[in-house]
Amino acid sequence: MINTVEKIYSWENNFQNYKVTYNDGKISSVPLDTANTDYQAIQQWIADGGTVIDNPPE
Amino acid sequence: MGTITQSIANNLTTGLGGASGINFRNIIINGDMNIAQRGTSTASITTDGYYTVDRFNFEIGGSSVWTQSQASDAPSGQGFTYSLKMDCTTAQASPASNDIILVGQSVEGFNLQTIKQGTSNAQSTTLSFWHKHTKTGTNIVELLDADNSNAVSGSYTQSVSDTWEKATIAFPANTSGTYGNDSNRSLRIRFIMGAGSDYTSGTLATTWQTTVTDANRYVGQVNNADNTANNFSITGVQYEVGTTASEFEFLPYGVKLERCYRYYQKSYAYATAVGTNTTIGIRTTSGSAGGMTTGQLYGDLQFKGNMRTAPTMTTYDKAGNSGVCARLNGGVARTDSQNLSMGDISEKSCSITSTGTANAGAIDVHWQAVSEL
Repeated sequence: MINTVEKIYSWENNFQNYKVTYNDGKISSVPLDTANTDYQAIQQWIADGGTVIDNPPE
Repeated sequence: MGTITQSIANNLTTGLGGASGINFRNIIINGDMNIAQRGTSTASITTDGYYTVDRFNFEIGGSSVWTQSQASDAPSGQGFTYSLKMDCTTAQASPASNDIILVGQSVEGFNLQTIKQGTSNAQSTTLSFWHKHTKTGTNIVELLDADNSNAVSGSYTQSVSDTWEKATIAFPANTSGTYGNDSNRSLRIRFIMGAGSDYTSGTLATTWQTTVTDANRYVGQVNNADNTANNFSITGVQYEVGTTASEFEFLPYGVKLERCYRYYQKSYAYATAVGTNTTIGIRTTSGSAGGMTTGQLYGDLQFKGNMRTAPTMTTYDKAGNSGVCARLNGGVARTDSQNLSMGDISEKSCSITSTGTANAGAIDVHWQAVSEL
């Protein structure tokens, strides 16, 4: 189960993947690839009302 | 004709795979349950996921609880060593109307083109497997076409409790809807273990349904979750083109492992669980003595062959904490729990950047890459 989702940016300020924290404490990096099933799960989580943490570099 | 020439000719006739013809005719990967990179047993399962045997997932609705294992139990004299075993540890006497419990395997479209589905040349297919269930009676297997939302079901019977029996189910050709020629999930092969009345109240659909009626999907399915004495085991799973089941296609161990790597890889040794406190298998980026910094360190991770798609990455430090790495001061110290970010994740590789603060010259990191369907 997803707990939190955060956008991760590169040093060039490109949004490059999601950092996902699951309820069991596991932390994973999910690529922006529509064929990735965890990416699909994040999109569903967002559609269900989940809020993505977004702190782009200044 | 010389002996060698004759041998080649025979192989061309029968197929290099042996008596039953074409190599890689089995669309199922790891059907003999030989590969279990994630581990050999997981207890207290209440949610969907991949737990032990590679490529086989578990899906659950309802309140039953299960232990999954790669069991050293297989039908005698058939060449199998292992089976996928589901052991019910908390029972649910009867499923809720919308509950489904199953084990299954999803297949990417690239591996289904031989069926020619959706054309006038669409092929019939056959699923064969060995089963050993405590609960006697009818069980359902479903082919669920994820590209076109079509489905067809077949049934088999466990006649004698806790005894290995072989099932063969032929499925008709489907001339409606092609499988995408891509790496996405196109077909789900599902071994139903229990289902509620939403799925059992109609007439079993043994021809392809282009509009799926849930009530016709799992008619007659017994409830394998109704007693903690129940086990549900399968092995020797083969899905192939044709109307009959050929002999199970045994592939070399290395070939099976390579095929599983397309969907799951890890840095740890085969028998070591991810998150274990160990340096064996740990990836160390290059560095130089004296080249120390408290700032950023960079490196990359290369996968074994192309994965199905860009994988979900989970990293671990030496101690087994996830989402972080260790920073290595070679010969002096290794500091765990250092920040790590991933970038440029592709089916071949990804970059890693440590933004931790420990004075170090290299990154030490374990990883797991998952691109399951």
